[in-house]
This record gives sequence, C-alpha cells and structure tokens, in this order.
Amino acid sequence: MTALDHPTGASGWLGLWRRTPLSFRIGAVILLLHGLVAVFGPYLVPYGYSEMRTGIPLTGMSFEHPFGVDQLGRDVFSRVVHGAHIVILLSLSGTALGLVLGSIVGLLSGYVGGWIDNVIQRLLETLISIPFLVLALLAMAAAGPELAGNPVLVILVVALVYFPRIARMARSAAIDIATRDFVTIAKLRGETAWSVMRRELLPNATSVLLVEFALRAGYAPVLIGSLGFLGFGVKPPTPEWGLMISENRALLIISPITVLGPGLALASLVVGLNLFTEGLARILGRTVKLGGA
Amino acid sequence: MEAVVRVENLSVSYRDRENWLRVLHHVGFSIARSEVFGLVGESGCGKSTIGLQLLGYRHANMRVDGGSVLFHGQDLLQLGRKKLDGLRGNRIGFVPQNPTTALNPSMRVGAQIEETLVLHGRAADGQQSQGRVEGLFDLVGLPHPKLLRQRYPHELSGGQQQRVCIAMAVACDPDLVVLDEPTTGLDVTTQEQIVDLLVALRARIGTAMLYVTHDLGLLAQIADRIGVMYAGHMVETAPSAGLFAAPRHPYTRGLIASVPRIDDPVDAAPATPLHGTLKRSELPPGCAFAPRCDHAEEACRITIQRLQTIDPVHQIACRRWRELPPTPARVVLPSTGRSGAGDLRHPILEFDRVTLAYGVSGGLLRHIFPGRPFIAVDRLSLAIGHGETLALVGESGSGKSTVGRAISGLLRPYRGTIRLDGAPLAGTYRRRSDEERRRIQFIFQNPDASLNPRATIGRILERPLKMFFGVRGSAAKDRVASALLEVSLEPAYARRYGDQLSGGERQRVAIARALIAEPELLLCDEILSALDVSVQANILALLRRLSGERGISMLFISHDLAVVRTIADRVAVLFHGQLMEIGRNADVFEPPYHPYTQALLDAVPTVTTVKTRSPDAAHGREIDNAACAFAGRCPWQLGRLCVDEAPPWRQVSDDLSIRCHLPLDRLPRRAASNPQPAVTGAQP
Repeated sequence: MTALDHPTGASGWLGLWRRTPLSFRIGAVILLLHGLVAVFGPYLVPYGYSEMRTGIPLTGMSFEHPFGVDQLGRDVFSRVVHGAHIVILLSLSGTALGLVLGSIVGLLSGYVGGWIDNVIQRLLETLISIPFLVLALLAMAAAGPELAGNPVLVILVVALVYFPRIARMARSAAIDIATRDFVTIAKLRGETAWSVMRRELLPNATSVLLVEFALRAGYAPVLIGSLGFLGFGVKPPTPEWGLMISENRALLIISPITVLGPGLALASLVVGLNLFTEGLARILGRTVKLGGA
Repeated sequence: MEAVVRVENLSVSYRDRENWLRVLHHVGFSIARSEVFGLVGESGCGKSTIGLQLLGYRHANMRVDGGSVLFHGQDLLQLGRKKLDGLRGNRIGFVPQNPTTALNPSMRVGAQIEETLVLHGRAADGQQSQGRVEGLFDLVGLPHPKLLRQRYPHELSGGQQQRVCIAMAVACDPDLVVLDEPTTGLDVTTQEQIVDLLVALRARIGTAMLYVTHDLGLLAQIADRIGVMYAGHMVETAPSAGLFAAPRHPYTRGLIASVPRIDDPVDAAPATPLHGTLKRSELPPGCAFAPRCDHAEEACRITIQRLQTIDPVHQIACRRWRELPPTPARVVLPSTGRSGAGDLRHPILEFDRVTLAYGVSGGLLRHIFPGRPFIAVDRLSLAIGHGETLALVGESGSGKSTVGRAISGLLRPYRGTIRLDGAPLAGTYRRRSDEERRRIQFIFQNPDASLNPRATIGRILERPLKMFFGVRGSAAKDRVASALLEVSLEPAYARRYGDQLSGGERQRVAIARALIAEPELLLCDEILSALDVSVQANILALLRRLSGERGISMLFISHDLAVVRTIADRVAVLFHGQLMEIGRNADVFEPPYHPYTQALLDAVPTVTTVKTRSPDAAHGREIDNAACAFAGRCPWQLGRLCVDEAPPWRQVSDDLSIRCHLPLDRLPRRAASNPQPAVTGAQP
C-alpha cells in the first residue's frame, strides 16, 4: 500500500502537520527562518556588525550590499543578520518575564477575589491606561541614566508593559476555573491560595496563557524597535533593528533600502509570530474543546 | 392509522476527529396523529439524535448513512434548506431541554413568539399577532398573558420559561412536536405541572409528539407507546402500559428495575440493576447489549439483532426472547440491618437555630450598612447522629444546598451555631483546623466539574493523603490503589485523566477522594442527579455498602424522594428555608404527612402507577413573609392563622415531627391522588 491509498489518513508527524491551520504553518516557517538566521547567520555574512568601510556609503541596493551601506560605511544586511538574535532574545525573555509575573498576579487576584482583587485590578488598570510607549519611557527615565542602554532594562520594561495585560487575561481565566467544583474541594481541604493556583488553576489556564504569550511576543519586537528608534533602547553600535531604522532615517530619501531592510526584517518577524499565534490559538482552542489531555 | 412521521431504517454517524462513529443503527418507528411516542435510554444511546433528525437537522460532523424520515410522506432528509425552514416551527415544533438558553435573553418573550407567527404567515405583525400570543399563553397556563408577554426571559421562573417554549412550539398548530428532555432541569412539582400541561395540550390540539427523555417514570405519565434505545439500536417498542407490565428485552427489564421506587420498602435496593456501563470500544458485532446481558450467548455477540414483532403492538430486538424467563417479580434486597437513627444526644453534627442569609456584608460593614439580607434558611435546628444517614429533601430554592454550603464553611451562618461532635465549628473554612476539615468531606453534583481535568486520578487522590496524613511516595500509591478498589475501580485508573472516565466512574473517583481522608461525615450534594439510572443504582449500592462498613455519617441532599427512600435513615423536608417535617425514613413516607410532603410525594412520577390527578391541588401562589412558607400553596391552609403565626412542632411519634398548625388528627392521611404505597415488609 502506498501513501496514495490514504489521501486523508496520512499518519505520524506529517499527518499532524497537515491538520494544523494554514496560518500556523506559514508562521512556523517564517519563525524557523528567523531562528536559523539568528543562530547561523552571523557566521555566514561577510562583515561584522561594527565593521566600517565595507563599501561606498549611500550607494543603495547592490548584489554586494543587498540592504545598502550606511553613513559609516557599514553593511546594513550583515548588521540586520547580526541583530536577529538580539531582537528575538529581548522579545522572548521580556515577554516571558511578563507572562510569569502576569500569571501569578492575575491567577491569585482572580482566585482570592474580594477587596484584594479590587485593589490589584485598579492598579493594573492604571498601568494599562498609560500608553505603552509613555509607560516604557517613564520606566526608563526612573531607572536613571547609568542603566540606559542596558539590555536587562529593556527586558524589564517589556515585562512591565505586558504583565498587567497578561494579568487581566489570567484573572478572567482564574475566575472561570475557580467556580468549578474541584477548586472548591481543594479550598475546603485547606489548600493555600498559592497551592490552589499552582495545582488547580495554572494547569487549566495553560492554553489561555500560551496564546497570550505568543500574542504579546509578536508585538514585543515592535515595542523594542520603537524604544530603539527613540534612542531609549540598547546602545549603538548594537545592531538592534529599531535602532538601525532610527540611525538611518536621515537617509530615507537618498538610500531608502537602509531603512526598509531592517524594517522588512522586523515586519516579517512580527507577521510570522502573529500567524503562528493565531494558528496556535486555533489548535489549542480545538483540543481544549475536545478535552484532550 | 395514518402516520404523521415515519422513520425508516435510519442510520447516522458522527465524526470524531478522523473517524466516523455510527450512532444510529437502522432505527425505525412511526408516530400516528395525536400519539405520544416516548423515546427512552441512557446517555449516549442516540435518542436526542433521532429528535434532531425529525427536525431535518444536520451539521458538518454528522452524516446520514441511510434511511429516511418521512413526514406526511416527504423525506425530510432530502429536503432543501428553504423547504425545511418552512416546516420547522410551523408544521414541526421543538421544545428544548434548557429553556434558559433556548430563549433570546435580550428579547421580550411575547415578541419571540410573534416572530414565529409572522415568519410562517400565521398572523400579521401587530395587534393580531399580539392577540395570538396572549391566546397561546393562556393555552399553556401562563398567568396574566398581557403582562407576561412584555417580560424578558430572566424575569420568568424555569417552569414559566418552559411554558413559553411550549407555546412557541405549538404556535402554528404543528402536526408534530419534538420534546427533548423538556423537564429535566425542573423541580418535581414544576415537572408535574409541565407534564399535566402537555397531556392537556395533546387532548386539545391533537398533535403527535416525540418525547425524548431518560426518565421512564415520566413516560408512564404521558406516552402512548415507548421505544427503548440502547447504543444506537431500538431494542424494544411497545405500548406504554404493556412495556411497564411486561418488559421483554433484558435491557428494558434492567432499566425498569434500576429506577428506585417510592413504593419500595424503606432501605431496600433493587436486586437486579444493570451492571457495567456502555463501552463503545467493546461493542460486539452482534447485539450491542450482549456485554452487559445476563442471558447473552456467543451467538448473541455475533448475530445482528433487528426488531421483530412478537405480538401486534410489541416489537423486540432480542433473539432469545422466547427463552427468557418471564419478567421476574420485583425482588428487593432486605434492609442492610443498620442501626437506623443514631444517638441524637451526641450527634456528629448539630445545627442550633442556624439562620443562613445571602447578601450580608461581612465584618465591620455589617454594622454600618445592615441592609436587608435574603434569608435562605430560617432558624434551622437539626442533628445527625454517628453513623446515620440524614437526607435533606426539597425543591430548588428550598435552601438545602445552602445548608451544605454552611457545613462546608463556604457560607458563614448569619445567626446560630453549627457544632461538630459537640464543639462549635468556625463559620468559614479558613478558620477551621485541618483535623476539622478532614472529618467532613464533600461530594458534589456535577462529575464533570469535580475532577481537575489536567491531573491524573492518582495525583488527585494522593493530595488529601499528603495534606491530612503526610503520606507520600509508594505508601501513598498503595493507599490510592486500595481506595480505587474500594469504589470498584481498577487501580490502573490512577494513571488516567478525569475526562477519560465516564460520569459514573468520575463520581466514584470523587467518592474515593472523600473516603481517602477517612471522614466521619460525608456531605453528598445531589450526587446522583447528573447520572443515568443504572449508574445511579450502582452508586447508591456503593454508598450503602460504604456507610454500612465504615459507619460514616452522611448528609444526603437530594430532590429525588425515591432515591432518598432507599438510602436514608432519617429524612428532613425543607421548604423555602423552613424545616417542615423530620423523622425516620419509614415514618416520613407514611401517613400522616405534612401537607408539603404530601404534595412532594404526589408529584413523583412512578413506573407503577398511572395517575389520574385532581388538577391544581397545590398550584397556588406562595404568600410573601408568611409565617409558614407553605401557606398559600397549601390546600389545607387555616386562613390567616398560617400567615400570621409560626406553626408549632407536632410530635407524631418518637421518630416523627411535623411542623404544622393542623392538629394531629387532621393532618393529611394519604396522598391525595397517589394510591397508598404498598409497603409491607422492612418496617422497623
């Protein structure tokens, strides 16, 4: 029997892959490319990220320099490739920190309820009501000049921006789960709020939280890029994409590719993450509904 | 006899991920004009699927493999969408199980029915359709049609909502009405009223009805003929009287025997409940019931069974029907010989004039904003003896579950004290000691929600061991295995997840989780109401055995009097937060009755008695703030006395107290329309 005998019944990983939504597949491929570039790219590109005099500045697109050469004579394409892991790492770790904080605060707040929940929610709303760039800049300013440009600060700021939003999602999940009898039983057994959260709420909120993580991670590169653009992100000459767009923005008329290049990289990452997230949400939504363990 | 609808050889499959699963196998039956055909079976037997097929309903994950549904000769399965739309709601009406979700919450109920009328051209929009709606409301016994028409669904009670749904179903004088478990979510007394209404409607408008239910007792009240379904097969069809008198198919027999009866001797259990559960994975190619059948032979497993006519009106799908022994007389097990009422001078749990209220602000605020709390339970005094099973019965809204919440510490008593073994129990669970928490354990109604779907059964059961006894590791594994065995589950279940189990199995795990803490008091809150009758019978047998072996006290909260009768030592009857009657199980079910108890008993549908009841005995309206909550609905009410003065407790005997103004000799002696229960044996 050949595979042709089973037009729909392909088995194994391939069959599983075929059953995933199209958006998930496209997103996964884009992310895989970004991942490969981030890991192996720096060894393959001809120039270092701060290497100058690689070509004639502002000559535009060429085979030698696909994204052109910037004012300082650096090859923009090489810089974009060198920057990939920075953007990805900063986005993921910032979002992950926000997820951990947000899950704990949200689940506990939703489970405990009462005035504690009320106070926490009002505080979170205050944070959410501040536009996220303003909040990020405020946090940067509060951290003081000696920390400026430190990647850890960027991660903390991403986490600060995202955790209230994730916490609200986690809270609504917790409120829903907490009405079920198994939580009541755990409560009556005398379990602490922490233990109820960890053992009963968290495992049942994973699908919600996973989707939330992927969704936020999809926008984190934009946030980091914006910070870099405004000069509050990592320090030059780090090849962070937002920073590169900012540095080259004066060249937009003369040599637009130096801005469009990093912009394209950023956009494809965000689109990839978003497609992946959407597909993931659909897969999880389906299995959760089917009750698959 | 002209058939309104004829189902022929219908086979339907559902998709489960990649596979098609056959849920109906060559089902055939017909319903004549003004006939009520009852379809009964346990969950998953395909009865609701048939109901949907009569509406021509289809969806992407469903496939008709063959057969036809002929409605006045035209095949609904072949009709296009437009034609079906013209029939549904017009020639074919539908009454759903849950009226709360069936009605549009943002639309006035009258307008929802007008919509149906106008859509099918039965009335012009405006005055004419409003008049029709009022007429329909009148027909289905809704009071004040003019006012009620303007209400939103949430402003109506469950029973009223279902009446609206029925009005909608019959709005266009349909030829056929499909009713899918229309009373399952309702109280016994409300259920009785709805069934009365359906019987009256049938007599007046003469529609054919398909009545889908899991409740055999109900069908005895309303159905002319009954079809019994098992695993997608029709296994027996017969006129309702004939079916109950002489069921032929082993499954039907088991089903009827599993129904606990109000007229069984107290404390007795049916001897021949169905064993096992339907396992889809183990279905033999032949008779689907063979794995659970006592009479099955090898030939049953391999030969496909089709309905065969054994007398003009009786059909059965069993190849051995001639050889089966005649329907056994109902055998009941003798009483387990438990001590009965425990020693009430030293009860395990005691309620001392406990008032329970909702809407009470806690702490300091209570003094600043006293507000007006809603009193759910009013000065309740109650005691449960060691080793005793006390049943708390009443309709929804009676406060019986509120009592459970107070015992668990989820609701702090507004006034009064709850004592555990003589020591006052803190009002909230947080303030109780681990030891106190261990001594009281809980089992809840909904088996789907009682187990964490993301934890294995083993992990769920190990947790209380660690919390209460500090047992972990292999010792805990051993205790879990023996706990599973004790509730008749394989120890291998420890590795499974809750959603891999059936409802009955999950409820067994919930029982095991409670027992593993070695409690002294077990609180069971409606633990059977979500389960099929055969599963109910097995769980009841398990609880009886456990309470006998372990001497655990139980508070058994239930609305089902027949179930209560088989398990309780004593029974307390609650109505709107007031205790009406309390006493030994046998005595509560024996005259004299409290008027409310009588009404409750009267409303229980049974498989043995086809009732002719006097209409409207207990359908009056309650009076707000009356001293006796039942005043107004009580047919025996003594004028203003019952409204103004709290009724006194009357000691009927050492074991029975009734709270009523009626003097002892004037208390109702027999249920108004129910024959005297033929209880002879098992008297204490």
